Amino acid sequence: MPKVGTYRANSVIYFQGDQGDKIYVLQRGRVSLNYNDIETGKLIREIIQTGEFFGVKSALGRYPREENAVVLEDANVLAFTVPEFEAFSMSNTRIIIKMLKVFSNQLRHIHKQVENLMENPTAVNAEMGLFKTGEYYLRSRMYSQARYVLGRYLTYYPAGKMAEQAGRYLETAEASLARYGDGKGPAPLAGSQASSPAAPSSPGFSADQGGPSFSSSQAAKPSEGASLSDVAKEYYNAVSLFSQEKYQEALKALKAIADGGDDSEYVAKAQFDMGRCLFALSQWDLAIKHFTGIVQSAPKHPDMADILYIMGQSWDKKGDKARAKAFFAKVLSMPGDEDSSARIKAKKALNALGGA
Amino acid sequence: MADLAGFSRFARTYQSGEIIFSEYEPGDSFYLIQAGRVRITKIVGDIEKNIDILSAPEIFGEMAILEGAPRSATAIALETVKVLEFNRANFEILMMGNPQIALRLLKVFTKRIYDQKRRFMILTLDDPQAKIADVFLMLDETQGSTVPGEQLGDKREFKVTVDDVAHWAGMNTAEVQTLLGHFFNQHRVELFPDHIVVKNINDFIRFVNSKRKK
Repeated sequence: MPKVGTYRANSVIYFQGDQGDKIYVLQRGRVSLNYNDIETGKLIREIIQTGEFFGVKSALGRYPREENAVVLEDANVLAFTVPEFEAFSMSNTRIIIKMLKVFSNQLRHIHKQVENLMENPTAVNAEMGLFKTGEYYLRSRMYSQARYVLGRYLTYYPAGKMAEQAGRYLETAEASLARYGDGKGPAPLAGSQASSPAAPSSPGFSADQGGPSFSSSQAAKPSEGASLSDVAKEYYNAVSLFSQEKYQEALKALKAIADGGDDSEYVAKAQFDMGRCLFALSQWDLAIKHFTGIVQSAPKHPDMADILYIMGQSWDKKGDKARAKAFFAKVLSMPGDEDSSARIKAKKALNALGGA
Repeated sequence: MADLAGFSRFARTYQSGEIIFSEYEPGDSFYLIQAGRVRITKIVGDIEKNIDILSAPEIFGEMAILEGAPRSATAIALETVKVLEFNRANFEILMMGNPQIALRLLKVFTKRIYDQKRRFMILTLDDPQAKIADVFLMLDETQGSTVPGEQLGDKREFKVTVDDVAHWAGMNTAEVQTLLGHFFNQHRVELFPDHIVVKNINDFIRFVNSKRKK
């Protein structure tokens, strides 16, 4: 049972720095909690109302008292031990809820104060941090984890400075997951040099050399910054859905972008990804039909090599090895980057089918 | 535990290996574990560090109460995990009928407020070397409250890396490395890959106090 204590004016119930395990309720009289504001050092006097609890945080959290509890007028105070308080709270949920609200406000306040002292705006760190987390998982061949994190990056920072890179990594993660499974296959990123590690709060997080992943065109990207169109956001949302294997939803979102026809860059991307969705849904015929449409209407599509590769895969899935081979061979005959992922994939697929 | 059956609309299931949320992701939900274990990890430098393994009925992700603040760690399902997912707007509904959970969350907030205040005290020191020393004092205070009595005189061992210290001190790793090097040359600390030894914690207390006085 909680005990009632009687305190004379000018006495002290507890001192700052005391280790205390009691939680108090003021029943009668006046008590003031005196402490120095951690930001300004100014002395604060917080008057406790009758019926109000005090000493809760330090008792529950088992840390030293943070204030002097000074009696201003003769007072009766009910003192709970922590187990007594816990028992009491079981039948007084409202009081706990009220405390939760007060504490969550205090937490928000102190968190903001801490934030203001940090050397870097957290937002910048968070963006690079998220990207690097995805990169870490990809490098560690934890493809499904990489896919989640990179998908989130693209959802939150569709116009972020690593968006293009994240998109490519996401593709690699998906491909590796499908081909090898988590934890298997060749290292998708070259060792630990892919990007230099940095502490969460260190300055120069985004200004470091960034490893081989930065290209000059990407570096120029941030200028578009926040003004990036709604289409881009919709597009990356769809990519995120795709990465979560929500292919039907992704397909719907992509179709809306493709049909909108506002921005040719994203229309082209969306059309390509619609085909990937169909393929992921094992709709080989629809995928082939869809991609054939793109090949005819947009022969200079930037993702042509990948389109032809997936068409080849679709034929392969349908059991038509001859057509599959023809498409893979077509990928290899295309001009351009020798090391493009589509070429490498096509070469492998062709070998698997017993050569050209 | 009280009736959680009515909260099925908040129920989520994660498969083994599935990420519940990622470090740095803006967070607006927090979770109560109902079944299964959750691994809390952080990527420090090039290593994924396990911070904690949680099971029912623990709460995690509670800093989402700050709305949109980036997650400070990653939560991954260690096996099939069932959780209740809440946010700032709807957590009261759950707490109302479940005082045990409310009390648990209250204790978690208590701890977080203390952590943040203590962090604030570190960050307001002007002297970078004192900041680092104060990080160890903070670690000593929090470790001390969980393992009372078990201390080896003035010597303390901390299971932290330079990156951890840098994180707490709000400084960059290189600078912390250099300053820890000074402490090492003065025979005040010993540095190991996975832990740091402070040879005389009272020496650090005096040092920090001398720098704190205005």
